[in-house]
This record gives sequence, structure tokens and C-alpha cells, in this order.
Amino acid sequence: MVYNKLKLTIPVLLAVLALTGCNNDDDRMEDMAIVTCNDGVMNGDEEGVDCGGSACEPCADSTAPDFTGTFAQVDHMGRPGINTTLSVDMDGMPSVKDAHNVTIPSEMTANFQAGFQARLEQYHDVYANKLGLDPMDVNYENNILGLDAATLTTVLAADVLEVAPDAPTVYFDPGTDADNDGNILVPDGDEVALTGRRLQDDVIDVSLILFFGGMNGDRFSGQDLDEDGMADLPRLTSDGVGLTATINAGFPYLSDPE
Amino acid sequence: MNKTKLLLGIAVLAIAGGLLVAADHLDAPSSGGTTADIADFFAFEPSTDSDFTTFVVDLQSSVLPELAYGTFDEDVLTEINIDTDGDLVEDFVIQAFPQGGTMYFFAGTPIQTGLNSQILVDDPLGEVTISGSTALVGEGRDGTRLFAGPRQDPFFFDFFQFNAVINPDVNSAPLGFKTSEEAEDTFDGANTMSIVVEIPNSILGPTNTTNALGVPVYKTWVTTNRKQ
Repeated sequence: MVYNKLKLTIPVLLAVLALTGCNNDDDRMEDMAIVTCNDGVMNGDEEGVDCGGSACEPCADSTAPDFTGTFAQVDHMGRPGINTTLSVDMDGMPSVKDAHNVTIPSEMTANFQAGFQARLEQYHDVYANKLGLDPMDVNYENNILGLDAATLTTVLAADVLEVAPDAPTVYFDPGTDADNDGNILVPDGDEVALTGRRLQDDVIDVSLILFFGGMNGDRFSGQDLDEDGMADLPRLTSDGVGLTATINAGFPYLSDPE
Repeated sequence: MNKTKLLLGIAVLAIAGGLLVAADHLDAPSSGGTTADIADFFAFEPSTDSDFTTFVVDLQSSVLPELAYGTFDEDVLTEINIDTDGDLVEDFVIQAFPQGGTMYFFAGTPIQTGLNSQILVDDPLGEVTISGSTALVGEGRDGTRLFAGPRQDPFFFDFFQFNAVINPDVNSAPLGFKTSEEAEDTFDGANTMSIVVEIPNSILGPTNTTNALGVPVYKTWVTTNRKQ
């Protein structure tokens, strides 16, 4: 729009200039200055290139939004905690975590599944050592969803968050026994899960249960096997914390900053 | 312990040297702690039988004092990607872009898929003044609700104990995580820069893909993208 005004204005200015001419009267310098509004340089009393000042059109509003350009991806997130817990960076090697953030989801499984699976197994080795056991004897066991390590990490490597438009949102409720069969952690077809993520969902505990819980979800949950009042197995299926921020029933749901 | 496992163990030892990890807060060396760092991402049905879907994107975090926090970067485009046919390629995007104290939103079919984006200037969704400490809510196309500004970070995680748990030193957290009486939420008191979009499913369109349990879902992810 500014450009159109300029196109209208310049012929008028040129016409005025033609009438007055570049003669030797006192207006000469001022008149000559007018034509600089189209010369691509900031001169006279212009406030920008060919704009502002006493002769030219006002400059474009510098606070107007600029929506031009190309934007290159720097970070990615789908499910919570995937890149942070399952990508491993090693000294002297290119960062896997950085690579994950600039990989499109359709190529993630091919690029990251094997590393995720190795990492999952390695977590178990850490605790084998802490328990004084041979790491080769303490391995991931199929989880409450019945997934083996390869399948679980294949699912998680494609890092997207599924959200159902027409079903209640449940990230995963490890305590759900919807059909009251007493088998709270083994899916048997009536579950509503993997339908999104609410603010209050304990996604860390869900991840820990899927990683360390085994088929019943409680494989490493601080059991006191000899009943001496001391845990004999580590507590790996819950970090022990719940929601501490205040959330609201109404939009935007998140509370004023603290 | 085979060689691969040994190498991984060494790598974990390096990682355990105090790196903050969380939902996606500070997840990687290049983006971690910058103005473009994604902290968290939520997607949910706002109320029972609602015809809307709510997306919450948290950028930046005040959980540690040295982190970038408090101002949306005017060179960073946030994009919520939505796949409706299960090929893990975005079919629809919601964009949020801050300029001059206003968050501008756009929603439509992406000009191009993949790692580079342009703003969908022909598909405006709405705009909202970026809030201070009190929430200002904007309304966009077809009843879409919009918010951008600082909020309490709702994420919760005893991350200090997590770092002790994954530390391969046999004396580091041999009993794993703490009990609920002893555990502490590292993010208690932390704030984040939130973008919230509540959008009619009719704008997003139907979906032809399902989750593992056969429920129709949108497959979604969020990216931040820096102006070149």
C-alpha cells in the first residue's frame, strides 16, 4: 500500500518539479531534493532510504510484524522425556541428541531405535552392578504392554504424541482396571490409553514402569524381600513426586507465574 | 559386560555429571538453555465430549538461573505438526510467531514439509497480546482460543535423584528413587513461556490413523525453528 501511494506521489512531485524547473532561484536545492525520494540512498533529511523527512513519504512502521523468511528446525518434541532419557551422547562423537532434534519423525526409527534399545539395556546393567549381580543376568523384561525391548524402542523412536479428537485423554494409567478383572496392568482390550497428555499426567512414572516394571509393572519397586524393613530391590518404577504446580479448570489452564 | 555396554557406561558417567534432563527441557547441547529450547508439550481434550483439542507448548525454563527465560524470541517460529494419515509427515501445522508484543498464529497445510518452514501468511488463525503475569486470552478463527506468556511449569520430576539413579557408580542411589515422603519435585516453583491453542477439531480435519489400541488419533509433535 505504501508502494502504491509512492507510485502516485512521485509523478505528481515530478510534475511539480517540471513546472518549477532547476533554475537558479532560491527553491532550487529544495526542489532537487524531492527527486531523491526514489534514488535508493538515504539523503537530505530522510529518516530512512527514500522515506521520511520533509519531502518523502513516511517510512514504513518499523514495529510492523515481519513474517518473511525461512525458518530452520532447531528443537523437536513429541512424547515427554524420549530424547532426554534414551539418546546417548558420547565424548568425541557427534551429538545424538542434537541429531534427534533435527530428524523428521518418519526417519527417526531407522536412525535411533538401535541406540534407544542399547540405552534401555544399559540402564539395567547399571542396577545389576549396584545389586552386585552380573549385568548379563539383569535384562529388560517385556513390559505391561507386552512389548519386548525392540518393539518398545521402535514405538518410542518415532517421537510423536498421539491425541484422540473424540476420546477422553489418558496418557497411560498404570492403575486402571477398567474391567475389574484384578489384572490392573495387563492390557486386555478395554483400555483407553495413549490418547494424549494432560497437564497432570505422571509421564515420568509411566515411562519408568514401561522401562523397569516388567510384565506386572512393579518389577523394581523397592520390594522388601526378606521383610527386614529395608528395601532389597531398587525403586525404579516411580520417582515419588506428583504435580506441584497449580492448574486451573479454565483456559489457559496453567497458573500465573510464581 | 561387553565392549558396547562398557562404552555406554562411560557415556552415562559423562552425562551424569550434572546435566539437567526433563520432559524436553535442555534435552540436547545445541538447543538446551536457548530461547528456542522446547521445555514441554501437551495435547488433550479440554473437557468431556469437547469438539476442540488443546495444545500446550512450553518454551524455556527458569528452573536454573543461567537459562534463557522470560521473553519469546522474535526469530523463533514454533510449529505444532499434525499427521492425519499415519506416515509421520505433517499434513497440517499450527504456527505461533511473536512480533512486537503480539503472538501471531497461523494454521493450515504447510508450504513444505520437513526441516524448513515458512509462515502461512495466507492462513491466519488469530493473534493475542503476549501476557505479563496475568493471562490475556485471545480469540481466533471459529472459536479458537489463544494464549502466550509466562506460566507455572506444570512438569514434575525429581531430576536430581534421576541423575543419581543413572550414575553407574555403585554407591550412587543403590536404592533407586526416593519414597514419596522424601522425593522432591525439581520443577516446583519453576516458570516457563507457554503457548496455548485450543482449536476446533473441524479446523484440523478428520484423521485416518489410530493408536496401538485402535483409537483414531492425530499424531503430533512440536518444533522450534530459527529464522535464517
